[in-house]
Amino acid sequence: MGVIKSEKIETADGSVLLVSVTDGAGIIGTCSAGHIPMNSDEASVTRLFYMGNDPVVRLVCPNHGSRRTDKLVSLCPGFEGSDIKLREALTECFDRLTRGESPEAGLHDLFPLLQDGVYAVYTADYYPTDGGGAFFWGAYNISHEVRATAERNRVIGNERTYKPCFLIPSEPPGHYVPKTKLMTDEAVKSRRCQGIVYHLSGLFSVLLKGHHGAVSCVEKGLPFKCAVIEKITEPYTDAPLPPAPPKEGEQPEAPAPVREGITGFRSPSVKIPLELFPRDMLMNILEGRTEYKPEHFNTLLKKLNTVRKKSVTNNVIPRNVLEKCERMPDSEMMESTCAISGLSDAQLEALLSGDTEYEGSVMISPNLYSSIITACSYLQFTDKNRFIDFAINAMSRPELSATHEYIARRASAIPNSAKLYKFFKDAADSGDVAFEKISAAANRYIADYEAADNN
Amino acid sequence: MAFCDLKPVSVTDENTGVTFIIGSVFSVCSYGADCPKVFSWGMAKTVTVTRGGILFATDTAQYIVKSRLFSSPDEFLRAVAIIECAYKKYGFEYVHEKRLLPLKSLYREFSQGTDAYIGESEIDGNDAANAFISLMNIKLVKLLWLIALLIMLLTFGILHYFVGVTRDNLLYFIPISAASGGIITLLVYIICHSVAKAKYFRIADCDPAADMNITFVISKFGFAACESSTYQGRDLVPWNEADYFIETDKIFIIYKNNAPIAFIPKKAFGKKFAGGAADILALKLEQR
Repeated sequence: MGVIKSEKIETADGSVLLVSVTDGAGIIGTCSAGHIPMNSDEASVTRLFYMGNDPVVRLVCPNHGSRRTDKLVSLCPGFEGSDIKLREALTECFDRLTRGESPEAGLHDLFPLLQDGVYAVYTADYYPTDGGGAFFWGAYNISHEVRATAERNRVIGNERTYKPCFLIPSEPPGHYVPKTKLMTDEAVKSRRCQGIVYHLSGLFSVLLKGHHGAVSCVEKGLPFKCAVIEKITEPYTDAPLPPAPPKEGEQPEAPAPVREGITGFRSPSVKIPLELFPRDMLMNILEGRTEYKPEHFNTLLKKLNTVRKKSVTNNVIPRNVLEKCERMPDSEMMESTCAISGLSDAQLEALLSGDTEYEGSVMISPNLYSSIITACSYLQFTDKNRFIDFAINAMSRPELSATHEYIARRASAIPNSAKLYKFFKDAADSGDVAFEKISAAANRYIADYEAADNN
Repeated sequence: MAFCDLKPVSVTDENTGVTFIIGSVFSVCSYGADCPKVFSWGMAKTVTVTRGGILFATDTAQYIVKSRLFSSPDEFLRAVAIIECAYKKYGFEYVHEKRLLPLKSLYREFSQGTDAYIGESEIDGNDAANAFISLMNIKLVKLLWLIALLIMLLTFGILHYFVGVTRDNLLYFIPISAASGGIITLLVYIICHSVAKAKYFRIADCDPAADMNITFVISKFGFAACESSTYQGRDLVPWNEADYFIETDKIFIIYKNNAPIAFIPKKAFGKKFAGGAADILALKLEQR
């Protein structure tokens, strides 16, 4: 049985619950499986997420496992629930969380089953999609590259923290049973927490418990609030802050002494300076390993290539759930939301006129087109009306034609906007070659709008 | 990444009270300090590994972890393996002495596959030195004959110059010339042997793994020659990291850029399986 210690610490970004696991059973976790011949190219490295004796998710990391590259994700045989200890612990923890217990108390039985290390534990809302509009449960049957799975996100950068918000299932899609969903339809209304997730990579976490609840939540439009377990492993170094400018009559502050070494350790959502860590937790990180192979690693490898028995099922996720997922925020929107703190109208105007800098500093990125695309995604998530205005403005400028197709595709995801309809209609009727790139999206939008209008 | 499961190594200098932890980061915990200094491997400018210890240098600081602080040679070798893996990932300047075994940075994590030959033994210094010598013999044999002939002619010429060759002494001078050619050639041969042997033992002396039990693997995906205490069972040097191999009666020597990177004694696999291992080697590398 592992030794568990938890402590709440106050950081600059708020309070964080840290949980330290020593001598953990290590039956939930990730491990490297190296290069698997026949399954990946020579330059790829495979990582596994496993639960008990079941390999659950296979991550193929291209470019020799580069942390900046998105991964290929596929669902392995998945958690079959044959490990009774694990299944009971998950059920017990989930029951406690749904009754409203804190993550610290609710997940108490799950912590000893994790690998050794220090974890940040919190609750957050998740979108039950693959970050591309597909419902998460059936989205990973075939191995494919999934955007925003890189540990170091190019849009967000290394400095900022971000909350993972997309899901990968731990149960195979064949485990979906409509009868169970009927029960969860009622249960989700009263649950304080809808699921337990373990952070895997980038913006993605694995849902350990609460799959049927996710279907019900999407159908009923309820937020999918989860208890999140995130391992803190990565060292980070912040540049020292420049001293504050002196007030009149005051001596300027001496610059802070340059710190030797790293500033602290982080997970995607938290950055914790070394001095804030309780001593034993810090030693747990320093003397521990980022991830390691469990004793039953060979069993996992043997199971890795087995085909799921119920990979084809008659129990189909309801159509309205799938449709609602298509309209949920995607990974590009979430990346841009994490990367940008705010954009004023003046900044947007500067962007449209071709400037990437505003009042002496780069707004988003030194690349104009990349900045416009990121701004679009950001506005689409934060303010639909500003997004529509910005999109129409950008599409009206021929000098930004490289972005037109992308913006038109994004804009056409906003249903029933009279402004957009008018713009697309005018563009289609004008026959101007400047609108050639948006004509397909425009025609589709016009048709959809008119069909909705007639109904 | 190969050797990714290695447990970090923690050593304490009792004299100074400083604890060094070599793991996914390099940490220095001074006695009484509130917070340890922690360096990511990306911050390292140079890391030097000798039999005497490990020197970790950044732009502003240097730390020496003496090898006597490690509780066992296995711990020291584990620390070296962690450093070599970090060197592969972060590309800092890595200074090391000559090695008998391949650097850990050459390894990749592979499944060994079903056709793998796995064995364990120490590298016999004499076997390896003899392998060096027999290789040298192949290169030297023509040269030695030439030396013998030249010395013979030279001796004969000297005798003729100083004494003068006549019909009476010719029968003495020919055996004397032949003997002197043979003796000097033998001396040259003995010196070359000593140099070859010394060359091997100089490498062996530099490598802390020379006296350890070594695990040897030859599979169709790659090979391994690694201290058994460090080896994790799934780490192989891919064949594209080697150029050719040489086989003697007791040992395989694998070369890269004309320098030996691994000595694999046949006895590690046993007589029965050495042939199979040789077959895989011959399939994957050019034999010279």
